[in-house]
Amino acid sequence: MKKFWKNANMRLKVGMFMTAFFMILGFVVYFIPHVDPFSYNSYANKLPPSWENFLGTTSMGQDIFWLLIEAIHNSLAIGLIVALIGTVLGVFVGLLAGFSGGVLDRVLMVITDTFVVIPSLPILILMTSLMKGSSTVILMALVLAMFAWAWPSRQIRSMALSIKERDFIYTAKFSGEGTVQVVLTEILPFALTWSLSNFMNATLAAIASESSLAVLGLSPANLVSLGNMIQWARTRNAILAQQWFWIGSPIVATVLLFIGLFLLITGYNDYMSMKRGR
Amino acid sequence: MRKALSLILAIAMLLTMGSAAFAAEMTEVGTPRNETLIVETQTPTDVPGQFNSYMQGTQMGFGIHQLMSAMMWEMDTAKGEQFGEVAEGFPESNEDFTEHIVKIRQGIKWSDGETLDAHDVAFTFNMIKDNPGINQSSYANAVFASVEAVDDYTVKFVTTESFPRLSMRFGVTIWGNDYRIVPEHIYSALEDVTTFKDSAPVVAGPYTVSSYDELGKWILYERREDWENSTVGVVTGKMPQAKYILFKVLGDDTTRQMAMINNEIDILCEVTPEALEVMTSANDKIACWYNEFPYATSDDPCSKGLAFSIGRGAPYDSADFRWAIALALNFDEISMNIFDGAGRASVFPILTATSAMQELYYKPLQEWVEAFELDLGDGTTINPFDNGYAARMAAALGIEGTEEELVDMFGIGCWKYAPEAAEKLLIKAGLEKKDDGWYFDGAPFTINMTYLADTEAQAGRGLVAAYDQLTKFGLSCNLSSESSATWDTHGATGEFEIAGYWPTGGITKDIYSQINGYDADLIVPIGERGSGQGTRWNNAEATEIIQELAKLSPEDEKSYELAMDFMKIAIADMPFIGFHSGVKFVPTNSTNWENYPSASNPYNGPWWWWSCFKYITTEISPVA
Amino acid sequence: MKFWKYFGLRVLTWALTILIGVTFIFFIPRMFPSDPVENMIGQMQSRSGQMDPLEMEHLRKSLRVQFGLDGSLVEQYTSFLWKGLLHFDFGPSLLSYPEPAGDIIMLYLPYTLGLSLTTTLLAWLIGNFIGLLAGFRKNKRSSKILEGIAICIYPIPYFIVALVLQIVFAFILKWLPLQSTIYANNGMWAYITSILKASVLPAVSLLLVNTGWWIISMKSLSSSTAEEDFVLYARYRGLSEGKIGKSYVFRNSILTQITALAMSLGGVFNGSIMTEIIFGYPGVGTLIQKAILQSDYNMILGCITISIVAIATATLIADLVYPLIDPRIRYS
Repeated sequence: MKKFWKNANMRLKVGMFMTAFFMILGFVVYFIPHVDPFSYNSYANKLPPSWENFLGTTSMGQDIFWLLIEAIHNSLAIGLIVALIGTVLGVFVGLLAGFSGGVLDRVLMVITDTFVVIPSLPILILMTSLMKGSSTVILMALVLAMFAWAWPSRQIRSMALSIKERDFIYTAKFSGEGTVQVVLTEILPFALTWSLSNFMNATLAAIASESSLAVLGLSPANLVSLGNMIQWARTRNAILAQQWFWIGSPIVATVLLFIGLFLLITGYNDYMSMKRGR
Repeated sequence: MRKALSLILAIAMLLTMGSAAFAAEMTEVGTPRNETLIVETQTPTDVPGQFNSYMQGTQMGFGIHQLMSAMMWEMDTAKGEQFGEVAEGFPESNEDFTEHIVKIRQGIKWSDGETLDAHDVAFTFNMIKDNPGINQSSYANAVFASVEAVDDYTVKFVTTESFPRLSMRFGVTIWGNDYRIVPEHIYSALEDVTTFKDSAPVVAGPYTVSSYDELGKWILYERREDWENSTVGVVTGKMPQAKYILFKVLGDDTTRQMAMINNEIDILCEVTPEALEVMTSANDKIACWYNEFPYATSDDPCSKGLAFSIGRGAPYDSADFRWAIALALNFDEISMNIFDGAGRASVFPILTATSAMQELYYKPLQEWVEAFELDLGDGTTINPFDNGYAARMAAALGIEGTEEELVDMFGIGCWKYAPEAAEKLLIKAGLEKKDDGWYFDGAPFTINMTYLADTEAQAGRGLVAAYDQLTKFGLSCNLSSESSATWDTHGATGEFEIAGYWPTGGITKDIYSQINGYDADLIVPIGERGSGQGTRWNNAEATEIIQELAKLSPEDEKSYELAMDFMKIAIADMPFIGFHSGVKFVPTNSTNWENYPSASNPYNGPWWWWSCFKYITTEISPVA
Repeated sequence: MKFWKYFGLRVLTWALTILIGVTFIFFIPRMFPSDPVENMIGQMQSRSGQMDPLEMEHLRKSLRVQFGLDGSLVEQYTSFLWKGLLHFDFGPSLLSYPEPAGDIIMLYLPYTLGLSLTTTLLAWLIGNFIGLLAGFRKNKRSSKILEGIAICIYPIPYFIVALVLQIVFAFILKWLPLQSTIYANNGMWAYITSILKASVLPAVSLLLVNTGWWIISMKSLSSSTAEEDFVLYARYRGLSEGKIGKSYVFRNSILTQITALAMSLGGVFNGSIMTEIIFGYPGVGTLIQKAILQSDYNMILGCITISIVAIATATLIADLVYPLIDPRIRYS
């Protein structure tokens, strides 16, 4: 651990710190008992920040601080669910295609390629605007996950193809290990490093997609997410009414969260390539 | 270094471009700003250059029906009365309302100089009847046996059945009307009137099209040289004062406000109170209907509130259940959450408390509703009406005024906030209260609450506020928003439970056209599309009244009595919980133009998107 | 021979992905309960209060026949495959009936292409130039600052960048119009300036975000190339830094970026949707959004089909050309 910290580059450190900060807000602070921030009229309207309401209140008497914490929690949760589904599915499909070869490979790759070429945003707009009536957090995550698995599976497949050719696989096979075992012991570790980076990327992409959809007014109406929080503040005119804490806090949080995640990803990639280089 | 240089260059370029555009007081369309009235329209047109109202998809609200269309009868929205536009006065009908003689106004000319007369009117109605491709065609065929010009200025309409409401159905009551008179000398020469775009329309209104955007975002209108021969000229003798009127699309809410504050637009359609507050404090030339609270006019005839999908069966088909929901809501809080307390309470079902309707129906019913009692099922009763609303709101918001003023501002009252009574009514309706919430039929009970996103902030906010109230009351609810694309289907097929929408109305004393959709004979099963109201309110007495009203003349005193009875039945059965009448914040900017209609100068309502706008153009005058 | 086999398979995959893709988007909107005829009736009803029940029934029938929505799903699908995919004829737009959806797309396409192609290319050039400098001289302070800026701007959600630009330059400074509206009625000069003025903010916002990405990816490519053995060897041989940069690092990293450019050119429709919606820019993106909100099936199909074909073709070209320019890759 100490060694890791010594070798880690600046970006990785800053990225880890920022991401950890948001993780704590979203998954630790979130569980401190508090009022339901979505509920209206909990406090007086449009209060400035104070000890009771750290970031003041909205025009509907909601506490902005807890609204923000809940938004961070839900946005992260959506991001993580989507990334998890996308990565697991992607790795599975990629490995399956890469190792089975033949017809199965072709079929899987055509399907994968289809999902790579379908433009995701219009389809997301289409699906969410049609599902609005019944849309929930899980459904939202599933829809986003639809586009999260194709790219990793393509990458993992080509990775698998190149690994398959390498000597140590032949050795392993020669020494009588089964395919499953080879995959598990020899190839998965390789794929994992890449998948971790992809996982973080997918988290970021999912949060970004959700907030884009929210800004178009297409995210579930009672989902407290960063995007929806921005959108609610916008529709209640917080920008021009200069309710900076209301509109500003989710924007600042989103920007910081994204920069943090992004630093984490690039820092991690640099770190891994450096490690491989030595 | 290179980047910095290019940045400076870019900024310099922008500066020169910007200053060039703003140096001369010209609009983007090349007309002098002081001769151009700029009006917002909310959605771009999908069919730029198409001005034929009988072709599919023509977007009439883009200035077309406000400035160019010729209507048989128009509406004086200030008085709430119709008057003849193309028609001279009202139809003279025979005893059983099957033959109607309509005189045509003399002196109106089309913009190409031809005279508008009875032949144009008869031609228009026959064209509609003869072309199945026209939307109104089959209805016109069902109503009219024949329409013919008796002489140059007289038209005889023969209806297939007794039809006492000719001017109301074929003239404007609210917004506009889909039966617009076309020039016979142009339309009769066409092979197919439903595919004629009419890009350079010949019109009877005071303005013609000067140019339009191929991409559908603006239309520039120019006043007719011979405006005195136009409908407005002949009816009022006054000249519309703006030489040009530019209708344009501005985009999202933030953009609209910014454009208004920067004086790039003179009239906006509808904004939220937050937006109005920002605009009036940033630019003192911006005003609304009232100069002070409540700013908005409450006279839009669609009240917003909670609609139930009664066709879903229990418990939604139980009046006790619906009343329980009404009593579980703290209306004062809901008002604050919607538009900060602004708006006239319009809590009776279906009929909206516009100023006229408040006088005609709400006040006369007040005594009855104050004595009205609900049976709570445990031997007790409650009177659900609360007449203290206006006084409470005035006190909370710091408004002073006579009782009459306050009642005009906040309405005659609202339903009581009585959570205990609501619980009893829920139990009476068959629900069961357990430790972990409400149960119905042995299963946990959850209400799905739906609202339409992106349109009608008033309705959406009202439903979200109600969701908040019901959740606090202890009912388990889901909240979902729908796009208009799915709502139009779900609303009609009854695929909702409680929705924030507006199957309401009320502009003329005769309420038949507002309530005829509630005829129980029109109800189709859930999942199918019928022609009645999507709420599927099944009430035999109400249906009887509707069917009786259909045969009566609107002037008949009996129809008013029947309407009163209808309202009593509706209140007792509560098919729709009203919140407020249509509250419209419609801002104007008096930097370039002034004398807009307002509460202190109410020569017309602030309905820029209705066809009556052409009569407002004669009053709006340039700032010297 | 090996090439032709690869080529054949690759083209087959290309055709199959497009076919599956459009089938997918053909059926999605039709599986949901939304119906253009109901939408149209709903709109008429909500703007003019209530509609006579009898009239509504008549209206519904006549609209259904006019829009050609009375055939079975299979009939609609086969006719779409034949006409839409092979002839790019998607039938009439339901909103702009009877105008063909294809014609309307063609009206908006030049605006989208003009905006996105210009910004994509510009962003590519600027981004790679800066990225190369930053990667090659990675210890210089200026390159660290440039990269730092890129890293801080790139991850910001696009709509935030766009909104800030709009408020600062259009509302506060009033240099540019709030909405990208085109005025074609009073002369060529006014027309051109209105297009330019309408495009500046959307273009700048796209440039900011896209350039950031190219800087970052080029930087990491060139710095990793700079550490590969052949570059180290060149340094060892005593070649000048300039020469190494030009002929070793640049040439090798730019290959990857060219393929990436091909991919992003294919994706221009997808990339400009948010831009167009936020600035009200008249392009295919706003058209897609409008079509979706109003269930204009034919228009949705038309827009997305074009987009799918563009991305698939760009990928195809990239895959075919890449091995030609990078000798390290073989067709496989």
